[in-house]
Amino acid sequence: MTHAFVSQVSTPFIPRSTTTTESNKTGSWRFLQPRYDEKTAPCSAACPAGEDIARVEMLVAQGLFKEAWETILQENPFPGVCGRVCFHPCESVCNRGAFDEPIAIHTLERFVADTAMRYGLQPQRMALPPKSERCAVVGAGPSGLAAAYFLARLGYGCDVFEARSEPGGLLRWGIPPYRLPVPVLQWELEHLQALGVNIRCNHKITGGFLHGLKDRYAAVFLGCGHYKSPALGIAGEDLSGVEEGLPFLERVRSGDLPSLSGTVAVIGGGNTAVDVSRCALRLGAKVLMVYRRRRQDMPAFGHEIQMAVDEGVELMELWAPLSIEAHPDGFRLSLQKMEVVSEEGGRARVKPVPGETTAIVVQKIFKALGNTAEEPWLEPPGEIAPHILHLADTVVSRREDGLVVVYGGDLAARSKSVAHAIGSGKEAAMALDLYFRRGWDAIVEETARCRVGPGPSLSMEIYTGGDRCRRNPHVVAFEEINTDYFLYGPRIIQPRLLVEERLQGFSEIDLKVSAALAIREAERCFNCGVCNQCDNCRLYCPDVAVCRDTSPQGRHINLDYCKGCGVCVVECPRNAMSLVENETGGRP
Amino acid sequence: MKKVVEGSHAVSEAVRLCRVQVISAYPITPQTHIVELLSEFCSDGSLNAKFLRVESEHSAMAALIGAASAGVRTFTATSSQGLALMHELLHWASGARLPIVMAEVNRALAPGWNIWTDQTDSLAQRDTGWIQLYCEDAQEALDTTIQAFRLAETVFLPVMVVLDAFFLSHTYEPVDIPDQADVDRFLPPFKPAFSLDTAHPAAFNQLSPPNVYMEMRRDLQDAMEAAPEVLEHIEGQFQSLFGRRYGALEAVQCDDAEIILVTSGTITSTCRLLVEKLRAQGEKVGLLKMRLFRPFPYEMLKRRVLRARKLAVVDRNFSFGACGIFAQEIRAALCNEPKRPLVFGYVAGLGGRDVTTDILEEIYWTTKTTAHPESESVWVGLQQPAPAA
Repeated sequence: MTHAFVSQVSTPFIPRSTTTTESNKTGSWRFLQPRYDEKTAPCSAACPAGEDIARVEMLVAQGLFKEAWETILQENPFPGVCGRVCFHPCESVCNRGAFDEPIAIHTLERFVADTAMRYGLQPQRMALPPKSERCAVVGAGPSGLAAAYFLARLGYGCDVFEARSEPGGLLRWGIPPYRLPVPVLQWELEHLQALGVNIRCNHKITGGFLHGLKDRYAAVFLGCGHYKSPALGIAGEDLSGVEEGLPFLERVRSGDLPSLSGTVAVIGGGNTAVDVSRCALRLGAKVLMVYRRRRQDMPAFGHEIQMAVDEGVELMELWAPLSIEAHPDGFRLSLQKMEVVSEEGGRARVKPVPGETTAIVVQKIFKALGNTAEEPWLEPPGEIAPHILHLADTVVSRREDGLVVVYGGDLAARSKSVAHAIGSGKEAAMALDLYFRRGWDAIVEETARCRVGPGPSLSMEIYTGGDRCRRNPHVVAFEEINTDYFLYGPRIIQPRLLVEERLQGFSEIDLKVSAALAIREAERCFNCGVCNQCDNCRLYCPDVAVCRDTSPQGRHINLDYCKGCGVCVVECPRNAMSLVENETGGRP
Repeated sequence: MKKVVEGSHAVSEAVRLCRVQVISAYPITPQTHIVELLSEFCSDGSLNAKFLRVESEHSAMAALIGAASAGVRTFTATSSQGLALMHELLHWASGARLPIVMAEVNRALAPGWNIWTDQTDSLAQRDTGWIQLYCEDAQEALDTTIQAFRLAETVFLPVMVVLDAFFLSHTYEPVDIPDQADVDRFLPPFKPAFSLDTAHPAAFNQLSPPNVYMEMRRDLQDAMEAAPEVLEHIEGQFQSLFGRRYGALEAVQCDDAEIILVTSGTITSTCRLLVEKLRAQGEKVGLLKMRLFRPFPYEMLKRRVLRARKLAVVDRNFSFGACGIFAQEIRAALCNEPKRPLVFGYVAGLGGRDVTTDILEEIYWTTKTTAHPESESVWVGLQQPAPAA
């Protein structure tokens, strides 16, 4: 059919310009202007290793697992280890927690590392050109290995001296296999060695060692940890059969699995005490954990204590050991009842309740108190002096002969955790590179520039001038997230062995999660402060002033027409934009 | 192909056949079935349209104004409070000369909260510059929707296709659903007079000072005045393809009628039965169905009714402080004629109350036995005394 009919209606008369409106540069009306301004996610600021978590979760959500893994490796050589043993302070500050439940960052970190291991991925080489200075690292535990890893990436040759037969330190000898299977550690150590880190095992160093170093090394990192158990100071603690906790864990790790029976008392409330208790349980004992304060005062991680209780460890809170005596059935452990006097920073101060004592008969006793450095010369200098720098997780000391000694890991870190040890190693590597390249005086200021958000966690990516440099240190608050763009969704539940299954041996308790579940969990992430290319800014711009381009940001703002209304900034779900005053103050 | 379909779904089928490109709607009883089925069409791929779920009818119309300004064919549906909420944007759509088509299912306005049929909602929008077509049955609803796009896109005015709630929207009837190829022949793709184009930016609908505003309004009115003739032409083509024609008005036995009952919507069907019955009794009665209400078909109306002695206008609507709206408009249309019928206004069926042949017959006999209208509107079927609150 043809449409020959022509109505009387011609082109309607409406208000419309007949010439282009491009000549009207409405950007001149603007006194505020939007800016792409990536910020700092609270999780990354809380991570002692300074991982770029918001970006990692974004990459996982996009299925870019290798890139996610490499992003973690920028800041942490041990995602497989940390995805298993880290106490994940990131999750308790997750902004999603104020919405429904925090992102399961810990589970996702492990997923990323396991995926890399499963496919035998090799990270892109991230090392800088070689440098002439050579460094010694004492102790192949998490801090020493991290120091060696970051030094190697910065181009320094490294020799790591390890007293024991195999590297790993507490990761290998102090953490039972149900939390960290050895092959995971082994896989990550291989990457470290591929970077050129030379680990010399069975090489215990002595106090005299430091004096002979100057000829061969420009610096030494001391990360030999806290292995010495202090005395309880009570009668009978040296009786045969009263054992130290850490050596017991070491024996379990080496495959020497003694059979235990009857009741075992474990004295202490730290992670070692919890691990000793859980190992003893697996070896057939009934376990009592004796602690002089309350459960909430224990230095051990809460989730580990809970798992121990689930498995059947009995807690005796507010009981301090008085004496140990031999008994026909083992030992008689006398205990003094304690009471809370006051609280300081959430931790109880206790004193004995006069006259209230008890005694229990047990078949074995483990002492697992907080450890200290093995030798006095390993303690970092406490004094304030121009040649000593007290950084967040390290103490850097320049000796008269020019050798720089960095005390790290448990010797100097704020807190005794694997993640803090890794952060400490990173801080040491950064401090040494600054010292060699920029001089002693640059260390404090330049490390401060590389802190994640308000610090003290450090970012090696920022230090080496990566994309993360552009991040604003402002930590994104929940109120700054546009939650209209997020749906409520349940947090992934970490699959675990049942208690009965756990007690049958030392199999890893936490199980793998599928890629589908990991992606779904990662999609819950707000990606606080990090642009994930959602394109809302462009879609919502009423002036079509957001233009796509080929820059890393993917788009720019055409300031000729941007009126500074701020819609793009408000509609950015994750606060990756800011509205600022025109750079020129008034009109642009 | 004949199918038994719900009145609402007859509209949905028409929208699919018209290859609408953007649908934006907010649900409201009794309209919801229309857009529900359309959303299924969009989801199963049988209609390649963007379906926007919005948070209000105001936004539904705003979104269509944007889409139509970008040059695509658009549709929405609403009722009652939803239509009222759209009010300011109805003016915008017509002023911007956007050929948006909307199905409006007549529903009473609250309070009292009432989901049943009543024309006051659509008639309250009579001054917004929208063409209004009132449908009698499901087939007509389908056909009118298809015609509406052609009409709208010819005169560049938005069109409201009006249906009675439940009596039409929720009743199943056999409907002849046209072939897609025939509809494609009847309705070519929409060619906008102008459209938003980021490559060639222009300002639209900006400030229009006194020296142009009046001419713009007159241009809109010119388009309105052209619409009846355009509709007639379009219906000719529609008839040649589909064999059906409705007209702006339909006169049944009006030529020799002394009294003409004037109706709109589904009451017309009931009234057809009454006219047959009264004719059989020898009464000189006719029926005039008002299909096109805006633009108001002044000349056609006069041609049909001037020979009669009395008109009995049945209004399922009311303008408070005045009278039934069809009666009001018809009186105004005839007032300057030297010889004109007396116009008796009746209000019936508000809020969905049934208008039966008995009620219409009462209206007829009242008109016949009353020499001169005693008031602007007689409310028919009021309960005396009123039911207790």
